[in-house]
Amino acid sequence: MNSVNTGIQLVVWIIAYPFIAFTVGVFMGGYGRKFTARLQRRVGPSWVQPFFDVIKLMRKRTNISHGYMHDVAMMMLVGGTIMTLYFIPVPGFTYFAQYGDFLVIAYLILVPSLGMALGVGETANPNGSIGIARALQMLAGYEVPFVLTFIGMAMLNGTTSMLDLVRIQQSGGMATWGIVTNPLLGIAAVMALQGMMNEKPFEVIVAPHEIATGPMTEMGGKYLGMMFIQHLINLFVETTIYINLFLGGAQNWVELIVKQFILFTLILSVNGVFGRFRTDDAVRFMWKVPLPLAALGVVGIMLGIG
Amino acid sequence: MEKRLTQRSAWDKVLTNLQKRSLWMLHYCTGCGAVELPPTMTARFDMERFGIMPMVTPRQADILLITGYLSVKTLKRVVLIYEQMQAPKYVVGFGSCTINGGMYWNSYATMKSLDQYLPVEMYLAGCMPRPEAIISGFTGLIERIDRGEANTWEDYYKNYEFYRKNQEHLFGSIETNVDVVGDRQYYKFTEVQQ
Repeated sequence: MNSVNTGIQLVVWIIAYPFIAFTVGVFMGGYGRKFTARLQRRVGPSWVQPFFDVIKLMRKRTNISHGYMHDVAMMMLVGGTIMTLYFIPVPGFTYFAQYGDFLVIAYLILVPSLGMALGVGETANPNGSIGIARALQMLAGYEVPFVLTFIGMAMLNGTTSMLDLVRIQQSGGMATWGIVTNPLLGIAAVMALQGMMNEKPFEVIVAPHEIATGPMTEMGGKYLGMMFIQHLINLFVETTIYINLFLGGAQNWVELIVKQFILFTLILSVNGVFGRFRTDDAVRFMWKVPLPLAALGVVGIMLGIG
Repeated sequence: MEKRLTQRSAWDKVLTNLQKRSLWMLHYCTGCGAVELPPTMTARFDMERFGIMPMVTPRQADILLITGYLSVKTLKRVVLIYEQMQAPKYVVGFGSCTINGGMYWNSYATMKSLDQYLPVEMYLAGCMPRPEAIISGFTGLIERIDRGEANTWEDYYKNYEFYRKNQEHLFGSIETNVDVVGDRQYYKFTEVQQ
């Protein structure tokens, strides 16, 4: 992953990268629904069902806006996610990643959540507000262990740049992968990732049977379509962050996509057999299990054991 | 209608073909018949094969499935829900009670024919329709959408006075938050003269 793009190549990547991420996200989303359906002994929908959903939502004739912030929030959602996407190094496109390290990603990844909070606030739907409150609560749950695992990796390798982390991990094959050099952090991060990807048992934000899909309650048509697009790109973003931190990044796109699907399968398997935690239980779990694990990993690294 | 169908562009046909694979259903089950839906959704008949999923809010739903009889009071709620849904939207009447009142024909408290109050895209006849009938009905709806014929929702805007008159005949005046007459202009529909 040593290529640094310039000129026309860079422009092509900037334009194509969100579309590539969306396409991979569509297949991941479809795979997720198919996988869950097979777990429940159903046939399940098409492999590209999220694509049909997005087309359907974008072709709705009515689009009800609840005001200025509602419109802008959708741009914050998709824009913030695409912005995060640019700073994540993938094979062939590392231009922004050499300027922005993990701290930039950790900052930008909050923009979609904030956008959602502002937009849903304007719709004034009580279910939406509950959803947002839960989203921000969960954020406090999973973000702390996740950032702590990253701090551990940065201390271990002496760099905060994700690009350098990937280079160090790729220097010695599988033996230098983050999950091998420090399994405690890797396990803590995969638990945090489960919450970050909003899969069961931490699926408290959407919770259709409880709060009527939470933030999405008042969304319809193109608004919901934008949220779907954001969700699909986010699948790509979140799995790629984990792969770059702990699974040695990827040297080509095939490797990246294979790793993404393997990681996603793990998360879906947990999703498939669990019910939903209550919000306080979910946050409590996040602070009881992944957080001490990550803290233990960091202490290990500080003492030179890790 | 004939002219409209031939004027559909190739691009429109392609998009409709993708669109019909995703239908989200809001089920309003205060009458009977809700018991037929879980087997339709779960492993035995698996509605998600066709991209049909239950959805929980009117804003997101495409299909409004009304199972069984509607009492006068619940019809009022259904009208509110229907007007909140985003077009194109399809009302599916489920069971014979929505068609002609069924066994509640003599009741003073239920409405008799759903299509007097809302534009019904399709009826699923039976008491009760089995999951096979529901699946076959929805497949028919998907085919109608593919052919561009599932336009009954436009009727509510074009014939709004007719529907509103029937609704108000049942439960008196009703205030909804949706400006249907304004929406008619937005969609550029012309009012049908009675």
